[in-house]
Amino acid sequence: MVKLTLYGVNPSPPVRAVKLTLAALQLPYEFVNVNISGQEQLSPDYLKKNPEHTVPTLEDDGHFIWDSHAIIAYLVSKYADSDALYPRDLLQRAVVDQRLHFETGVVFANGIKAITKPLFFNGLTRIPKERYDAIVEIYDFVETFLAGHNYIAGDQLTIADFSLISSTTSLVAFVEIDRVKYPRIIEWVRRLEKLPYYEEANAKGARELETILKSTNFTFAT
Amino acid sequence: MVNLILYGTESSPPVRAVLLTLRALQLDHEFHTLDMQAGDHLKPDMLNKNPQHTVPMLEDGESCIWDSHAIIGYLVNKYAQSDELYPKDALKRAVVDQRLHFETGVLFHGIFKQLQRALFQENATEVPKDRLAELKDAYALLEQFLAENPYVAGPQLTIADFSIVATVSTLHLSYCPVDATKYPKLSAWLARISALPFYEEDNLRGARLLADKIRSKLPKQFDKLWQKAFEDIKSGAGKQ
Repeated sequence: MVKLTLYGVNPSPPVRAVKLTLAALQLPYEFVNVNISGQEQLSPDYLKKNPEHTVPTLEDDGHFIWDSHAIIAYLVSKYADSDALYPRDLLQRAVVDQRLHFETGVVFANGIKAITKPLFFNGLTRIPKERYDAIVEIYDFVETFLAGHNYIAGDQLTIADFSLISSTTSLVAFVEIDRVKYPRIIEWVRRLEKLPYYEEANAKGARELETILKSTNFTFAT
Repeated sequence: MVNLILYGTESSPPVRAVLLTLRALQLDHEFHTLDMQAGDHLKPDMLNKNPQHTVPMLEDGESCIWDSHAIIGYLVNKYAQSDELYPKDALKRAVVDQRLHFETGVLFHGIFKQLQRALFQENATEVPKDRLAELKDAYALLEQFLAENPYVAGPQLTIADFSIVATVSTLHLSYCPVDATKYPKLSAWLARISALPFYEEDNLRGARLLADKIRSKLPKQFDKLWQKAFEDIKSGAGKQ
């Protein structure tokens, strides 16, 4: 009997990436809300689970795994009936891995965290222009990756889609996706929205984050 | 017949992570130097191969693979005789993967690239304090990763060590030397990895090239710190 516990908060993009994966694999789990504003992630109890004190953290049979990308790869490797979501073919896998690291570095660290950290922790609501440019560059790359393919790492849905849709649908809180310039991104988001678990696993949390971000009244410097 | 071509420049930390992996697997390869300042990586032929126009980029026969972490995982999966450097066991692999993403998100994009931007694009006259604090937090976390194990992802050397050492050795020689009294495990780990055969050729030489460039832009007060760091390396302080 699988007993999985996911520690996190719904607005967090990487938490949503894990929720999408759990839903796709039809794995039941307990969701434990971490009180980030109360700094629960810095409590001795949480630090024992995850010394990097990030969310999400997954608990599986007494083991603690963190970093959303490591978690979603682990879940497919351990629990999936097929390798479709994380192909064993080495070249296909290398593409998925590249997309996952693109999400970690270019999208999440350089696109989202570089804005939200100064915004939430230092109250810097005037966002430097280069942060805007960084998001536009992300959209350019994502549009390029989708050329000739329905999904971000090829012709089938993979964990790279779950990872990148969770952050892309939150970048829109900062910069709208231009429908003319990025038709493939628009189509790709629509395609993923049709997944039966999408609303619960991603859309709801993305809306929550957008509300929080907009309530800061941030502006971009020009 | 293995036919591997690695594109990049040896000062780049992620390129060096791949060089360390190729060496560990004893894989022959050609190295094609790209002059990034001249825009070699933006030429149509290279953009065709890697639209993200990053280095390293690996060509294996007809296939082009990029992102250093994807490359080193691929190389072990495809060419290694055992899975030691990238364990197949799901839990062990999850630890390696977490360390690799820590390198990508925190060390490389979160800290190193931001420091480079401040120094080379914004012409900062001192190292931004908040970044330096983040870097020390990252060192402290690595110290914890190494608390009970000689390597960053457990009892064995893995590709996570190659990925992290490429960046940390550069940071150590430039923005923030690893203080052996504050971070004894991290310092000992640096010494342990430095003892790998060909380490100088595969990583240290490129790290020094990049560190020299960074140091030439940094204010003088850092010199004392570096002198101490180099003395520590020479005397073997921090070794267990």
